[in-house]
Amino acid sequence: MGEDFATDLDGLIQQLRRIFDEDQVDVDQVIKLLGSYKSNPEDWMKFTKYTRNLVDRGNGKYNLMMLCWGEGQGSGIHDHANSHCFVKMLDGGLKEVMLEWPEGEIEQPMTVKDVNIYKKDQVAYINDSMGLHRMENESHSKHAVSLHLYCPPFGECYNFDERTGHKRKCCVVFHSCHDK
Amino acid sequence: LPKEFDQLINLEKLYLSGNQFKTFPSQICHLTRLRTLYFGGNRLETVPQSIINLKRLEILYLGGNQLTQVPAELGALDCLRALMLCDNKLKIIPVALSKLTKLRSLSLHNNQLTTLPVEIIHLVHLSDLSLRNNPLVFQFIQELEYEVPTLKELSGRIIRNSKIPYRQLPLPQCLVKFLDSARRCPKCRGVYFDTRVKEVKFADFCGKYRLPLLRYLCSPPCQSGNSSDYSSEEEEAAQRQKMQRVLLG
Repeated sequence: MGEDFATDLDGLIQQLRRIFDEDQVDVDQVIKLLGSYKSNPEDWMKFTKYTRNLVDRGNGKYNLMMLCWGEGQGSGIHDHANSHCFVKMLDGGLKEVMLEWPEGEIEQPMTVKDVNIYKKDQVAYINDSMGLHRMENESHSKHAVSLHLYCPPFGECYNFDERTGHKRKCCVVFHSCHDK
Repeated sequence: LPKEFDQLINLEKLYLSGNQFKTFPSQICHLTRLRTLYFGGNRLETVPQSIINLKRLEILYLGGNQLTQVPAELGALDCLRALMLCDNKLKIIPVALSKLTKLRSLSLHNNQLTTLPVEIIHLVHLSDLSLRNNPLVFQFIQELEYEVPTLKELSGRIIRNSKIPYRQLPLPQCLVKFLDSARRCPKCRGVYFDTRVKEVKFADFCGKYRLPLLRYLCSPPCQSGNSSDYSSEEEEAAQRQKMQRVLLG
């Protein structure tokens, strides 16, 4: 077995493929591996051309994507289509606001259940059973870059209105000129 | 910022985010070739009206400051594609912003907005709009307060609505000015001066959001919807129910 350690992005990609080749994947092992890589912009600068860039298709088992966040930029509140989602911070920081799933049919404001701050090199993990979340770059003077792993890959998810809990389907899009 | 900064007349991009400016340096408004201005994360309390000189501005980032308002002059920057006002202390945004027809991105999250001007629906190219963390009105709330109009107001309304040619009469200037200042009620097309009623209605915007839009009407009867077709009793009951829900939180 290889080590759960990566010194550069290519090494990280290889290790991830190895781990996900198995039938059973240990979430903590993946978090540990992602956390071990000390972000080096020389490795990943080429993936920051667009807002969402595909880095690796993981032999069909997962999508590895790089996301670029401008100052003050945030995502909508979204679910993860029954998949696992890992987020590794490569530059800057992101604030994660976790929310409860809306209950029933009544329109009411959604409840915040937790707030987490992720700094460079830290790793976040979420799946649908834990709740929904919104990610945002709170900095007004610094960009943020994050590496996202979604397993299994998904093309659609739901977007939620914080004021009413109303959900709407949306497509996950990204650029894949660096597809392997 | 050094005084001589205003000599950089060819400057197109200026990045001053993450500093501690309390006042907006006036030198910047001389840089008429500026296309991108990032002034986020400072301590700006106001934006000068002379920002109107930056006619070529396409991206303006003012997030993370201490702004309680922004000048209507921002509405004259017709090249503006992205305007970021998030994380300030804005209670209202000027109606003039609705003239920014090229605007694609407007970020207003983390402010103190309760409503938006109804004219904002004119921004047809807007594809990114962030409104979270504003105390936006959740439900239709009927304005309870309505000040009894003064005799001056009532007379003014009659004169304007009847189209009496007051300018031909020997009237004191202040009265002429008053009569000139009449505004049209968007509902009944009558006029009002100082006495008016707020109406907040929810509208679908870009198929994505329901925004509380504010406009002023001349009187409460104009608020209660269209006309004789409604069963006024039913409508009143519905309004009362809504009021109860809002008051009970």
